[in-house]
Amino acid sequence: MLQILIQGLLLSGLYALIAMGFTLIFSIGRVLNLAYGAYLMVGGYMYFWVSQTLGMPKLMGVAVAVVLGVLMGVLKYRLIVKTLKGDHVAVEISTLILAVVIQAGIVLVFGDSSKILLPIVPGVINVAGASVTHNILIATLISWAVLLGLYAFVRLTHTGRAMQAVSMDAKGAAISGIDPDRINLITWGISGALGALGGVFFASYTQLSPSMWVAPLIISVAVVIVGGIGSIIGTLVVAHIVGFLEVIVVATLAPELRGVFTMLLIIGVLVTRPQGLFGREEL
Amino acid sequence: MGLRWFHFVLWGGLIAGMLLLPQVVSNGTLRTMIFANYLAIFAISWDVLSGRTGYVSFGHPFLIGIGAYTTAILTKRFDVPVEISIPVAVLVTMIAGLIVLLPALRIRGSYFALVTLAFMELLYQLVQVIRPDLTGGTRGMSGIQTLTRGAANGYYLSTALMLGVAVSMWLLMKTRLGTALAAIGMNEESVRGSGLSTTRLKAFAFLTSAFIAGLGGAFYVHYLGSLAPRALFDINFLFTIIVAALLGGTSTIIGPMIGAFFMTFLLEYLRPVLPGAERYFVYGAIALLLYMYQPKGLVELVQRGFQRLRKGGVA
Repeated sequence: MLQILIQGLLLSGLYALIAMGFTLIFSIGRVLNLAYGAYLMVGGYMYFWVSQTLGMPKLMGVAVAVVLGVLMGVLKYRLIVKTLKGDHVAVEISTLILAVVIQAGIVLVFGDSSKILLPIVPGVINVAGASVTHNILIATLISWAVLLGLYAFVRLTHTGRAMQAVSMDAKGAAISGIDPDRINLITWGISGALGALGGVFFASYTQLSPSMWVAPLIISVAVVIVGGIGSIIGTLVVAHIVGFLEVIVVATLAPELRGVFTMLLIIGVLVTRPQGLFGREEL
Repeated sequence: MGLRWFHFVLWGGLIAGMLLLPQVVSNGTLRTMIFANYLAIFAISWDVLSGRTGYVSFGHPFLIGIGAYTTAILTKRFDVPVEISIPVAVLVTMIAGLIVLLPALRIRGSYFALVTLAFMELLYQLVQVIRPDLTGGTRGMSGIQTLTRGAANGYYLSTALMLGVAVSMWLLMKTRLGTALAAIGMNEESVRGSGLSTTRLKAFAFLTSAFIAGLGGAFYVHYLGSLAPRALFDINFLFTIIVAALLGGTSTIIGPMIGAFFMTFLLEYLRPVLPGAERYFVYGAIALLLYMYQPKGLVELVQRGFQRLRKGGVA
């Protein structure tokens, strides 16, 4: 029981971090970035390459992954999203194609077989009879720190408030002197960074493989849909619903059914409450 | 109905050309053509729903997979003859199409695409866990009865099927029904405003799309003789179908066909250079560029070329 509670909390924190980058884009740019899972994959592989293949310090690996994530986010906005000028379906299809291209690129460079990532922080700790690896514990703590930092950034800084303004009404924000293009660019950069960082943690939690991007994408999608459009609180709550659901299913039913209930949740919520559980809320 | 004599000449020429093809090309090329034929069927099926009505389906492998799995399970596990199992598979796929339709009546755009993606992932995970004795679990099934032997026979069967689907869809889309479907994609409200039932039109598009997907899926699995969940409910497979339709040109019949043949042969020619999944790197990059800069597809390019020729002739 306690094991489930602790595992659920840890996994949910990680899922919240992963889903946040996806939610941000949806909330501000109003587009679904189906290549979001690819950020995670690229982040994971970059970390693997820098820290395990080149043998550089682990922090360096994380830093390279995050920088590359930002770069990918910014490039994707400039080259694809802006070119297609808010045609949602076109953005979705082209980001899906891009995800397939990135997956094939990973196969081209790193090969088809899956890779085990060494734990970022080795060791196991006993929390009230439940064994928890240092790795996932640290990942969760950092996830929470990043999420709190992001929340503070959005609430307190000028840029953050501009992001809220654009998410509510891009035209209105433009009239009051905000450059929506610049805000979008920043958002895509942040989203890329969150994705890449989440990818490093996610890969150390599971493993690296060229198809690893689908599961976290589906989780992000579930969180966005079930949580309602771009609400930070909604994202946190639903990340915990999905995380606990998975942990409980794995512990009590069967590990193979892990994703089934997440999928049923998406379908169920979409059919009964298309606006999501939390409806529209400011960012 | 907008039918012109030269349409029939073009179709006739295409049919005759395709039927004569086994006389001139090698068996290897024929096998590639078989894949292109099935991909064309799937792309037409996707286009009937998504290309026309604008309801983008990311779950087409879900429909194809239901058709394939139904007939495979019936023939392999219950020794049902294919003459019965294929119609049953098509029927089951249409019922599955109705299930996907229900959410589509309430949601649209991005959300619809996502719910269909969720359906595909759901089925992918379910076939591996529920009754592996029937579905073959993670490994899938092999030794499924095949309908034909030899490349030429497989080619004739798939060509007949593909051309049958293409011509009947082409005729259907020339009717007022086809026009109404395309109108939903442009402006759903005004279709409703003009007194048509969009629900009924959408249901029709779903059922037609599911019918073709089930038919294609069932025949495809009886051609391959095996099926695997990884190959079927896979984003790469979904990607290939969508890109074939988009690349050729949506809202046309010839477009998805051209796209399917272009894609299949491109992949085939890349095989010696890039043997594995890396092929999708080149493939996807070409698809992405073409999609971004030629969103109406190859058909549009060809048409524009013709118009320029015709104008040039007058002047």
